[in-house]
Amino acid sequence: MSHAVVGPIGSGFTAALPVLELRDIHQVYGTGDAAVHALRGIDLTVGAGDYLAIMGPSGSGKSTLMNLLGCLDVASSGSYLLAGDDVSAFDEGQLAKVRNREIGFVFQSFNLVPRMSAVANVELPLVYGGYKRKERRRRALEALEMVGLGHRADHEPQELSGGQQQRVAIARALVTSPTLVLADEPTGNLDSESTDEILGIFDRLAAEGRTIVIITHEEHVAERTHRVLAISDGLIVSDRESLLGVRA
Amino acid sequence: MKLGDILLSALRGVTANKLRSILTLLGVLIGVASVILLLAVGNGSAQTIKASIAALGTDTVTVRASSGGGGAATATSSSTKEITYDVSTQLADSGLGHVKAVVPQVSTSLTVSSTTTSADSTSVIGTTPNYFGVSTAKVATGSAFTEADVTSSAKVAVIGQTLATTLFPTGSALGQSVSIDGTPFTIVGIMATQSSTGFTDPNSVIIAPITRVQRSFTGYGAVSTLLVQATDSDSVDAATGEITVMLDQLLGVGADDTAPYTITDQSTLLETQEASADSFTVLLGVVAAISLLVGGIGVTNVMLVSVTERTREIGIRKALGATRGAILGQFLAEAATLTLVGGILGVIVALIGSNYEIYGTQPVVLGYSVPLALGVSVAIGVFFGVYPAGRAAAMRPIQALRAI
Ligand SMILES: Nc1ncnc2c1ncn2[C@@H]1O[C@H](COP(=O)(O)OP(=O)(O)OP(=O)(O)O)[C@@H](O)[C@H]1O
Ligand SMILES: [Mg+2]
Repeated sequence: MSHAVVGPIGSGFTAALPVLELRDIHQVYGTGDAAVHALRGIDLTVGAGDYLAIMGPSGSGKSTLMNLLGCLDVASSGSYLLAGDDVSAFDEGQLAKVRNREIGFVFQSFNLVPRMSAVANVELPLVYGGYKRKERRRRALEALEMVGLGHRADHEPQELSGGQQQRVAIARALVTSPTLVLADEPTGNLDSESTDEILGIFDRLAAEGRTIVIITHEEHVAERTHRVLAISDGLIVSDRESLLGVRA
Repeated sequence: MKLGDILLSALRGVTANKLRSILTLLGVLIGVASVILLLAVGNGSAQTIKASIAALGTDTVTVRASSGGGGAATATSSSTKEITYDVSTQLADSGLGHVKAVVPQVSTSLTVSSTTTSADSTSVIGTTPNYFGVSTAKVATGSAFTEADVTSSAKVAVIGQTLATTLFPTGSALGQSVSIDGTPFTIVGIMATQSSTGFTDPNSVIIAPITRVQRSFTGYGAVSTLLVQATDSDSVDAATGEITVMLDQLLGVGADDTAPYTITDQSTLLETQEASADSFTVLLGVVAAISLLVGGIGVTNVMLVSVTERTREIGIRKALGATRGAILGQFLAEAATLTLVGGILGVIVALIGSNYEIYGTQPVVLGYSVPLALGVSVAIGVFFGVYPAGRAAAMRPIQALRAI
């Protein structure tokens, strides 16, 4: 099933439709006395082309929210529309398809498959997307080129620096041209130089009109985005334009 | 996800962790090889016994005195109720239509010695020359004694291979003199080696004319057995009938008396031995099954550990859009590749090993044991490679990613 590239929703006639629409999302871990209310009623709309930072203290529910957005987890209650589709009603197969085509997820801990070359890692989403081998290779190399790692395609993760590993992970998140790029503290494990490189890539993607959500602890990272969301104790406490306020 | 991609990623998985792969391979290899070999050993010994049945022929029956003596309940004097050499000769000369030969046997256990060596408790058999035509014993060197030797109670003997070498370790036993319990005998023949089917070693006996053995050692009483050969294997029942009638007549057994002898079909006797050989195969099969199980547990262990180790990888793949089926396919292909390669190597090792004698038995590989051993080990490996992977694949990606 060779699937046509899903372009950013921000382009063309779909511009009016929000990419993300969350209504009264709750997430509860555990039951009874041990129950943890990680999210306690999140309402959020993200339009196409938005460049969004989520901030908040540790344990406030940022990762919980991000995992829901990435369809890596399912909310306890509330509705989640991704590009107009009610994801909470999706079955396993449909969710796999959404993760594969609509979402590119970047983890704080990179999560590359060990003992597998950079280019093979980047190819993985295309493998599950049913692309032919040649096409896969071409697109994976292109994505690696874009993050400046074309020359490291055959290196395995353990042979790459943290910043390089994260760039491979970003290439992997972008290779299917997803509707939405999600990054949970993508620079949390990196030094300032690598951080600048990574953020530069996100800035460029945002400039190209891609929808991006980044979790960060750092003010200077948040200020590079267009919109800053603050979460505390499972609730959104503020939602403002960034100080720079640059909207593409 | 295409089949080629699945196989490719399986190959990658197999080569990525060499130690794990080698351990799995070894577990399967040993399990499969031992099952095939052990069953082959059991089968080999059963085949040896079957071959000796064929050698003995199914055209002979054995007449023995009944245990418990010659029917004490009857009034006739006991001497007429015994099967003596005389009775045997009369039986042979009575012209029974389905009887080809009657071979009387007396046996005793005595010390046999050459000038240098002696062998205690050697089985001494007294019989007639056609013993060598009817029983499995064949003369390899020299010749059997003759009817004339029987008539003249000649002090000649035919000797078993093993006994010959024991008594005459340096030269040939042929033409030499041995002393049986002090009486000198000339060795006229040496028997061919026979495979042992009973408790006495057929290669350690000495055989002399019945008349001489009776005169010197056992006395002229009852013979221990009569070996009767029917005209062919289909006539065994008819021959048995004729012998019964004639023996009853010769021994004066009345219609109401219990016969003082029993007639045993050789094949019946050997069927029992064959059955015991079969149960030996079953026993070895059980041992083999246990070793397969142990091998299987080893494989299971390696598989479980590897899936646990790789739960995070499963989480990553799911986050990138892998379906449960794709994950299962990958682990199935990996486990199948590993166990199949190990299994096939095991088959090869077993086939090579079966060319060598193991504890005196030449293994004969049972056809069904190859697919059986291979099938079971692959099934175990695949099940325990796929089942835990299936459980991990059923998790939400974030659960799998958080595992460990
Ligand atoms: N699987 C889980 N089971 C139970 N509780 C959980 C689980 N995951 C998260 N929590 C709880 O939910 C709350 C929110 O966690 P979350 O990981 O979303 O925080 P966070 O904002 O990402 O924090 P950090 O900045 O430290 O990453 C925390 O109190 C955490 O203990
Ligand atoms: Mg977090």
